[in-house]
Amino acid sequence: MKFRLLTLTTLTAAGIAGSAFAADTVKLGYQLPLTGDTAQYGQDFRKAAEIALTEFNAAGKPFKVEIVFEDSRSDAKEGTNIARKFVDDKEIVGVLGDFTSGVSMAAAQVYKDAGMPQLSQTASHPDYTKISKYQFRNIATQAQEGPYNAKWMAAKGFKNVAVIAEQTDWGQSVVSGFSDAVKANGGTVAFSEFFNRGLKDYRSLISKLERAKPDAIYTGFFYEDGAQFLKQLQQLGIKTPVYSTSAAYSPKLIELAGGAAEGVHLTSNFLPTDPSPNVQHFVDEWKKRSDGAVPGQFPAQAYDAVRIMLAAVEKASPNPTREKVRDALAQTRDFPGVTGKTSFSADREAEKELVKVEVKGGAFVPVAD
Amino acid sequence: MFDPYYLQQLAIGLSLGMTYALMAIGFTLIFGVLNVVNFAHGEIYTLGAFAGLVLISATAPPIVAVILGALAIGALAGFSLERIAFKPFRRFTDEASLKSRAMRESTLLSSLAVSIVVREALEIAFGSQMRSVPFEYLINTPVRVGPVILVTGDFIIFGVAAAMLIGLQYLLTRTRIGLAIRAVSNNPLGAKYVGIDTDRTIITTFVVGSMMGAAAGILMGLYYGAVFPAMGFTPGIKAFVAMVMGGLSSIPGAVICALILGISESMATTFVSSGWSDMVAYGFLILTLIFFPNGLFGARRERV
Repeated sequence: MKFRLLTLTTLTAAGIAGSAFAADTVKLGYQLPLTGDTAQYGQDFRKAAEIALTEFNAAGKPFKVEIVFEDSRSDAKEGTNIARKFVDDKEIVGVLGDFTSGVSMAAAQVYKDAGMPQLSQTASHPDYTKISKYQFRNIATQAQEGPYNAKWMAAKGFKNVAVIAEQTDWGQSVVSGFSDAVKANGGTVAFSEFFNRGLKDYRSLISKLERAKPDAIYTGFFYEDGAQFLKQLQQLGIKTPVYSTSAAYSPKLIELAGGAAEGVHLTSNFLPTDPSPNVQHFVDEWKKRSDGAVPGQFPAQAYDAVRIMLAAVEKASPNPTREKVRDALAQTRDFPGVTGKTSFSADREAEKELVKVEVKGGAFVPVAD
Repeated sequence: MFDPYYLQQLAIGLSLGMTYALMAIGFTLIFGVLNVVNFAHGEIYTLGAFAGLVLISATAPPIVAVILGALAIGALAGFSLERIAFKPFRRFTDEASLKSRAMRESTLLSSLAVSIVVREALEIAFGSQMRSVPFEYLINTPVRVGPVILVTGDFIIFGVAAAMLIGLQYLLTRTRIGLAIRAVSNNPLGAKYVGIDTDRTIITTFVVGSMMGAAAGILMGLYYGAVFPAMGFTPGIKAFVAMVMGGLSSIPGAVICALILGISESMATTFVSSGWSDMVAYGFLILTLIFFPNGLFGARRERV
């Protein structure tokens, strides 16, 4: 069985090597939502990828790289179809994406069988990288972030906490990653509930949550849901402190929630205000393409993911194959990205440094505790 | 004795129901009363919200002007929608075509097509992310009424919905144009025979209904502070459920059912996980269709 798989991989690898030999262009696939409810994220990823790609192709490397973007609409079925398409294209040596954990995991099943390296900039469900040795991610998982935040909140003296998260694979990993750590630290989870993504009115949920009288609220949401939640929390006159994950870290959160976002605590691994030259370079490039808007954490992760993939392709060249790209990815150590130094651990998790951030005076400000 | 928690949930439910009702009124006028299958109402709502937002960011006019602007866009959108997706199916005036169910129901797809085109066009033009409404325009300043907290928008929406409901009831039952609408709805061929200008009646209904849809859109944009291309979808579904529960042709029925829907959703959140509260709407739809095929407030008349 193992032998057969090995032969198969070698054969496929040889096949790709043969076709890639002729061309001096290397092809990568990027599956991401470009339309539908989550299109705003996919559009940002594409923009970030284009910045990284333009830079790479302008740097005078011996070969050019082309990225094929395919719209998955954050739909698992669509994601799997794209995965088959990418796998069938013998010139594609590596794939980036998808956006959500659910779609990334569905597509991963196809990539696993075909031996295609897959690097997602955002899929943070713990099970994603466990699918096979071909799955990588460039984001801290909730298994990292949950305990980190639990410790932070415990240090602030919040013993009795409420948790809410969106009803998705990711949201469930937020709740389990955090709740387990709270209990291990001797705290209690007074309230735990899921809501549907895109819910407009959180007031019922907030009233119910407040009945449990928590010291603080831990939330797993993205900026759209987060802004509504925070605004309605303020409307109902509730002052309980709110903590959140890096998923809510976006300038849009403050833009949409305004004063209601004041005092929200969250973690992040990207700060657009970081003075280091590569961060400022990315922020400038981003601003040029987005009417002066500042990038959030997700585009930064996508930018880094694309550059990590490009570095792996370069390492695997000449004649990169899927297998060689995978091995090169796995060897990534201390990649100097805009989201800090990235190394892949033996189980292909990105080891990220997290920064504590608080919203103060309408901006994300790093805090010591 | 009575837990103020339940009062607060009741108030939230009523306010939620009001937002559904606001959408349901225009929707029911076109879909239910005029008896024309129209699935593009959600996009009229979105267009109204975007029109208001564009106006706000361009010239920062007073709020009344914003709503008037949204109404004008709504009227234009309703007129164009009718012209693009509905009028072509009425070009055959022979009796067989006029009585044909297929001709009538084909607007299900043509209106759906228009709605998809509009939504994608808005996505290309404005991007699909949520756009914020400047804070000075928002209508969500908290107001405390005894033990419960509401926001200013709840009262504005109540006022607008009540005005729409009363205005439409007056129009439909007391005026000649209302009579014409009901006649066309009941029997388009018969209406034509007795000399009613059916084309004009249908266009008028579309314009009025779409103005209400656009007004609902901008009000919701100001209420929640976020405008985005996909915003019309969920309210459209809730309005549809309210309309079917209310008996298709009854606007007061749709309003009452929208309120029932809102209250049940907020009350259900107390007992089940919030993730399940959408099930309430669909559960009600199924129960109504099984036990009250004519809706809770529907007149017993044969539907086409």
